[in-house]
Amino acid sequence: MADRKAEKSNRPGWQEDLERVGLVRRVLRPALQARKWYGADWWFVVFSAVLLVFFVLVALFPQWFAPYDPKAEVGPSLLAPGQPPEGYILVTRTADHITDLRQVATSEHTLGFVLGSPASQALRERLAEFAAEAQAAGEEVNYSPRPKRYATLDEALQALVAGRIDGVIETRSTVEAAIDQYEGLEISASLRERGDRGFILGTNQLGQDVLSRIIWGTRIALLVGFTSAIVAVVIGVPIGLLSGFIGGPLDRVLTLIMDSLYSFPGLILAIAIAAVLGPGLINIIIAIAALYVPTYFRIVRGQTMSVKQLLYVEAARSLGARRLTILTRYILPNVIPSVVIIFSVNVADAILTEAGLSFLGLGLPPDTPDWGIDLARGQDYLRRAWWLITFPGLMVALVTLGWSMLGESLSEILNPRLARS
Amino acid sequence: MAKDILLSLRDLSVEYPTRAGILQAVSQVSLDIYRGEVLGLVGESGCGKSTLGRAIMRLLQPPGYIAGGQIIFDGQDLMGFDAAQMRDLRGRRISLIFQDPMTSLNPVQRVVEHVIEAIRVHEGPTSVEAARARAAELVDRLGITAERLDDFPHQLSGGMRQRVMIGLALALKADLIIADEPTTSLDVIVEAQFLDLLQELQRDFGLSILLITHNIGIVAEIADRVAVMYAGRLVELADVHPLFHEPRHPYTQALLASVPNIKLVGDDLKIMSGSPPDLITPPPGCRFHPRCPQAFDRCRLEPPPLQEIQEGHHVTCWLY
Repeated sequence: MADRKAEKSNRPGWQEDLERVGLVRRVLRPALQARKWYGADWWFVVFSAVLLVFFVLVALFPQWFAPYDPKAEVGPSLLAPGQPPEGYILVTRTADHITDLRQVATSEHTLGFVLGSPASQALRERLAEFAAEAQAAGEEVNYSPRPKRYATLDEALQALVAGRIDGVIETRSTVEAAIDQYEGLEISASLRERGDRGFILGTNQLGQDVLSRIIWGTRIALLVGFTSAIVAVVIGVPIGLLSGFIGGPLDRVLTLIMDSLYSFPGLILAIAIAAVLGPGLINIIIAIAALYVPTYFRIVRGQTMSVKQLLYVEAARSLGARRLTILTRYILPNVIPSVVIIFSVNVADAILTEAGLSFLGLGLPPDTPDWGIDLARGQDYLRRAWWLITFPGLMVALVTLGWSMLGESLSEILNPRLARS
Repeated sequence: MAKDILLSLRDLSVEYPTRAGILQAVSQVSLDIYRGEVLGLVGESGCGKSTLGRAIMRLLQPPGYIAGGQIIFDGQDLMGFDAAQMRDLRGRRISLIFQDPMTSLNPVQRVVEHVIEAIRVHEGPTSVEAARARAAELVDRLGITAERLDDFPHQLSGGMRQRVMIGLALALKADLIIADEPTTSLDVIVEAQFLDLLQELQRDFGLSILLITHNIGIVAEIADRVAVMYAGRLVELADVHPLFHEPRHPYTQALLASVPNIKLVGDDLKIMSGSPPDLITPPPGCRFHPRCPQAFDRCRLEPPPLQEIQEGHHVTCWLY
């Protein structure tokens, strides 16, 4: 005791203050000590833990990080990463003296578009802003012009010249190339007056923001990965414990069942189960969990069988401990470390499997922001739009790497051979 | 010493089924342990002494089983006890100390948790403070400071762990302690300290101890009586002095003659010829006859019974 006190008084005051905080004493200091013992592995754990904490944050609050609604078609189709979206402009007849989009945007007007152009989406956003402004000002203006679509820009501009419509909305570059051929038309307004958020990672073929989609996809990936690994632990660990502890015919039967499950190639089994159960989040989780139950079963059963032979278990028995006590207080705590390690590796694997199932169309509804679905959709545009598959793929790789690294380095640290004794 | 019988074994046999046939690890051993005595049980490896110790607690490693006989503890036949009764008995009345203190403690529990658990198992819910106080008192008696109670087993030395094991056995004031080679993994100095402690505790608490060992020296030092086993049979049982001064069974004689002694000169150290028999097909008659220098025809045909040839001196041999 005296030694400890002397040691304490040599330390700076701030450290003693920190000592009083439970978190520091219980978590931070052992962690810092661990750094000295384990070197590189400690850094791996810290790095992967930071990475994973970030991913978990993103998964919990995607709305804080995502600039757009992942399901909305917010921009032009297949816009490359970092490229500014082209601004849309309004073309009107010079004679009408239009200076503001509002003037031609009420329900009495008709506006022309080229078929398939995302201009109508851009207009809709702008109109929503107008409506909000009008409501705030107490005015009653119905901003909903009748749309009219034309096969080409030329047809639209001819219609405008002829007076059948009040304006045409198209991108600035295409309009500027065509407008000289028509008399009496002018570019009167730009649709985007405020600064635009842009598309950092580009847009997909539907004009959805890739960044927002992968951010929302994190939620699905971690949800499925975590939940299925937890379900597998909850089922696999108790069965493994019982099987290893009780032994006999029960053990034989359970081992046979689990080994036959284990002998299937992973994804094939998941596909089979998912195909039988049908699509849906819960079903995917069940399919993946079923895949990993045998892993836990085998490890826990094996460890239980070796731990139950150990002298301290027998010593507990010779002191009159019940079977349940032996199982929960002697065997389980000595088996848990290996479960923790497999768990983190399994989460990584489950995320991969989930992406695989979604890629094959066995997973979630097709409009869900999910990495596997994005990859599957993006592969059709592999040559034109590399960003469609690169970023969801990168996310899968990063998250998987984070979990695997955590698992591997934890196993190094928790490895009894390396532990100080 | 009051000759009050605490434990009485009657014709106890233990068998292990193996591929080659049934192995008789212990056959028809009859033996009494008195209250407050130390009974040394000696014999070479594989003679069934550890099996006997475990059989008394009914803690045989499967597939071993008790093939016959009675274990009468404090007037009750343990063979008639069910699992719950046995559990209640273990630790509270009979405790077992194992050979290897390094692995006898749960690596994920602190020392104090072991003691608390032992107390709770037998005495129901006990407050942590009360159990802790008892544990502190107990380890103090064993020469371990109370601070070490919060250590994990890997932080203790081998001698300390073995003392903790005794502490666990004593926590519930067991009447009989079965010590199965308790000092094998300790060095001689720690061993001597440990034996002193064991003897002191035995006197203070009036314990009975069944000391299972192959170390004759330990037995000579602390046992009151000695039982010698050979090939699953009890061959000689006597007070410690008569046994060491005038051993009667040829096996005991050979065993004692083969213990190195500083007073021996030249080639005086005797070596026992042959090796112990296969217990699946033991030799007929006396199991020692193939190696016995004094064997005669009767030894090869009929197994000798245990007979009392002097007051308290029992031998299984046709010579007497």
